Amino acid sequence: MKNNILQAELNFTEIYKKYKDAHPATREAMCLKVQYPAFFTEIQDEDLFAGRIRHTLVGLTPDEWGPTAFGYYCQEREIRELMAKSNLDNSYKEKIEEMLFFWKTENTSARLRISYPEDMARWLPTDDWMHDYGIGFPLYRLTGGNINFGKLLKLGIPGLSDEIRRYKASAEIESRGTEIYDAMLLALEVFVDICMYYASQANQMAEKENRKERKAELLEMAAVLEAITVTKPRTFREALQMFWLYSLAADIRNYGRMDVYLGDFLVNDLTSDTFSESEAQRLLDSIWRLMAARKTVVHNRVIIGGLGRRNEKNADLFALMAMQATLNVKEAEPQLSLRFYKGMNPMLMAKALDTIAEGRTYPMLYNDDVNIPSVESAFGFNRALSEQYVPYGCGEYIIDHKSFGTPSGVINLLKALEVTLHNGIDPSTGRKIGLSLGEFETFDTFDKLFEAYKKQVEHFVDLLARQEELEYKVAGETAPFLFMSMLYDGCLEKGLGAFSGGIDYLGGTLETYGNSNTADSLTAIKKLVYDEKRLSHKDLLKALDQNFEGFKDERELMLNCPKYGNDDECADSMLLKVHTHVAEYTRSQKAKTNLHSYLIVIINNSANTLLGHQTSASADGRKSGEPMNNGNTPTSGFDRQGITAMLNSIVKPSTYIHAGAVQNMKFSRDLFTKKRPVVESLLATYFEKGGAQAMITVLNRNDLENAMKEPEKYGHIFVRVGGFSARFVELSRDVQMEILNRTLY
Amino acid sequence: MSTKALIFDIQRFSLNDGPGIRTTVFLKGCPLDCLWCHNPESKSFFPEVSFTGELCEECRKEANDFIRKSEISAESLIEGFPFCPSCRENIDHSPKGSLKIVGRPVNLEEAVSEILKDVDYYKNSNGGVTISGGEPLSQLKFTLALLKRLKELDIHTAVETCGLAPEESFQKLLPVTDLFLYDYKATGEDIHRRLTGSTNRAILSNLDFLYRNNANIILRLPLVPGINDSEEHLEAIALLARKYPSLSGIEIMPYHNIGNDKARKLGKPSPIEALKTAPEEIKQGWAEKLLSMGCTSVTVS
Repeated sequence: MKNNILQAELNFTEIYKKYKDAHPATREAMCLKVQYPAFFTEIQDEDLFAGRIRHTLVGLTPDEWGPTAFGYYCQEREIRELMAKSNLDNSYKEKIEEMLFFWKTENTSARLRISYPEDMARWLPTDDWMHDYGIGFPLYRLTGGNINFGKLLKLGIPGLSDEIRRYKASAEIESRGTEIYDAMLLALEVFVDICMYYASQANQMAEKENRKERKAELLEMAAVLEAITVTKPRTFREALQMFWLYSLAADIRNYGRMDVYLGDFLVNDLTSDTFSESEAQRLLDSIWRLMAARKTVVHNRVIIGGLGRRNEKNADLFALMAMQATLNVKEAEPQLSLRFYKGMNPMLMAKALDTIAEGRTYPMLYNDDVNIPSVESAFGFNRALSEQYVPYGCGEYIIDHKSFGTPSGVINLLKALEVTLHNGIDPSTGRKIGLSLGEFETFDTFDKLFEAYKKQVEHFVDLLARQEELEYKVAGETAPFLFMSMLYDGCLEKGLGAFSGGIDYLGGTLETYGNSNTADSLTAIKKLVYDEKRLSHKDLLKALDQNFEGFKDERELMLNCPKYGNDDECADSMLLKVHTHVAEYTRSQKAKTNLHSYLIVIINNSANTLLGHQTSASADGRKSGEPMNNGNTPTSGFDRQGITAMLNSIVKPSTYIHAGAVQNMKFSRDLFTKKRPVVESLLATYFEKGGAQAMITVLNRNDLENAMKEPEKYGHIFVRVGGFSARFVELSRDVQMEILNRTLY
Repeated sequence: MSTKALIFDIQRFSLNDGPGIRTTVFLKGCPLDCLWCHNPESKSFFPEVSFTGELCEECRKEANDFIRKSEISAESLIEGFPFCPSCRENIDHSPKGSLKIVGRPVNLEEAVSEILKDVDYYKNSNGGVTISGGEPLSQLKFTLALLKRLKELDIHTAVETCGLAPEESFQKLLPVTDLFLYDYKATGEDIHRRLTGSTNRAILSNLDFLYRNNANIILRLPLVPGINDSEEHLEAIALLARKYPSLSGIEIMPYHNIGNDKARKLGKPSPIEALKTAPEEIKQGWAEKLLSMGCTSVTVS
């Protein structure tokens, strides 16, 4: 019998039950005490800092550990899998069953779900956005918090505790509740426990260690951990350790302006004779490895560069070393992001392009000259606040430790169009999942169709905005999220948890998908059905419903319609129409809800592919189940006029009405390395023309092999031979091979 | 009536035909007939049918004659033209888009509006517009009008030429052309005639004329292994370089065979179909030889 599994989860549950009706802050502090250090795993051989996590299957997180695991969560499926694998006696099994039964109604997602009013439950019936068929889906998480790491490092545990005590004292004078302050102090004690837990682990490992150097490293690690429990960080090393461990304890997965809050520590140490730049690099590389091991997939954002940095020179030095770390540690994370502006130290951009040229995808580039005024406009913040914007996760913007904007909803625009064409019915399942606004044939003008599409979208935007508001409300009632709140502006002063009124600017975001496909589909429908009448309403629907089987010519007609991404007025203006509508309508939710802002984001992740699986054939020529476009990028293979045309297209949709959009672009290594000045001027021009962001991939061998498998998706690959005119996709296979092998690689 | 030209492509983000980021306008029709031409669709002054599958000679000829007389889309040609039953079957069984018409008339305004889309990129990269072909001077009226307009717009201009045109034509281009990409293909009148269909007498004299008139010239050398890369030819190039010390550069354009694909589709397979793309060592060998003969600023494109 193996009756020791899920011990941490059972303990957590027991404590939660004990404090179930206590003040949420007290309950959380008590839960944190049992959650940690069970949450932490062993120091690994190459680690220069302590702090690795495994998440427990029952616990508390502001973020998410799975589609519905946020707040107080219990991952029943995973627990059952584990039970099935383990040989447990019946009484132990019963204990676990009892735990599962308890959390079924007590976990935060469930509490949120049952508080849905009737219409919300009717139209947002499923949480399984990855597999189910729907236009809109809720997302359960409070993600993207960027806490004030600068303050943490400046005050340390003693200073932060003092500050909390001061606020507690004034709360007492004003006869306000002090539970939250007591709970925060308890949480900091938990943090000290974590430090000491790792310090003793490091000491024990040092004792057993035979290698002299490693032994010294472990002893140093222990000393650093002990030091930060009693004093504010004094060195770069102490600051890094403090930052890292706190980010894990708070489950904060995005790190904000790291160059600002670590730059001074770095430069300060470098001015002493005993600390070298190579030592600093070694430390930073180790943090990069630990971030990679955290495997957040969509987070781990490190922001460097940009306007509004109080210590620009020191921060620049850190930024350069951060990029070097990305070159040294060849992992998919952290998602290093460089903010830049006209007049910034040119060494940063040069280093960024060197890093990208190695095929690292990072840093992603963010143009402050566009983004700051865009944030001012979209969110309604003043200039100084807007200068502190930080992209997190998949590319959403918030104001560093001042605002919040978790994406708590997904809308599939292409599905909205599909369902509108089918009068409210999802053609794959036959279920009614949208508003019935009339049969397609009854829309005798394109404008009528477009109006119906808009209504469909608006219906779901309304619902998802209210859902976001409700999600915050339930989260706020559930827990103050102590580690996060004590370092989020507004919370300490008010004595309130982040989502209970603490955060000054509590906003939300809505992830939109399929934007380019929707626009291209509408372009094709307008042209073929309404303007040129080459297809009847019926034939178009039939072709889509049959996934073009038996409708090859019709599909060809659709594929040949103008597409977004080619600097084509007709296609791009439709994209603008779709973009402006959903962005403006979403932004108008500010007036209808208590949210400080509600904005769309057009971001980069795998949702375009996952949602595409459940989306039928579309009038842009896309087949059923195929991925939709990514971010604000044209659909793969639809941009055939070259990079300048693509860039000209993607700067057209306004950046002033949303909270972030991602632009993917691919270059050949040849171009990036041999024609560097051209690349530089190309990007400079793109950014001058209003380009807000660029995520650049330099194609490697693997990409090229994929290009060979599906050359039709690589319309953007151009053959660059002097005086030679040819488009890659039009060449025969052997020639394509020749080009991929020679010209591009 | 506006000035028109027959073109076969406008290529944006062109990086190898002059400095910076450029748009290259490819004009259709060339007075030479080079053995190694990598733009076989540039040779004829008329639109042509390009098809990935088989077309019998007769159908191809008749279809080409037909589209020469009437401006028509590939779609309508496929629909309406009386192809023989076997060609008809080939066409019907090929994927859509396999049959194309190469060559379309554009007027000046259309070309300029396409060019202007990337004007910001030219400015930031010290790039501009290249007129190539085919032979730009063979459609002089259009070329001249386009160059004039581009200069009015303060856009850098380059002309890629084989050099075969009346001297007066070059004279007209001089004030509006910032850079000539001037081909030098073979040495010796007979060899030149054999390889390109014409002697090089006028070509050499036009080069001399441009040089004496202070034109900015990059000499471009299409080099084909075993065909026009003899010692004698390379020496002649070195001699030219000494004679014209102020050339802006010498660019080797190594032979590549990826144009053969286009030739097959036009029903005009390349006469040197079997020849492989010049390998890297040979390219470098040419460059080194030229440098050893005293040429400076030699680059391999």
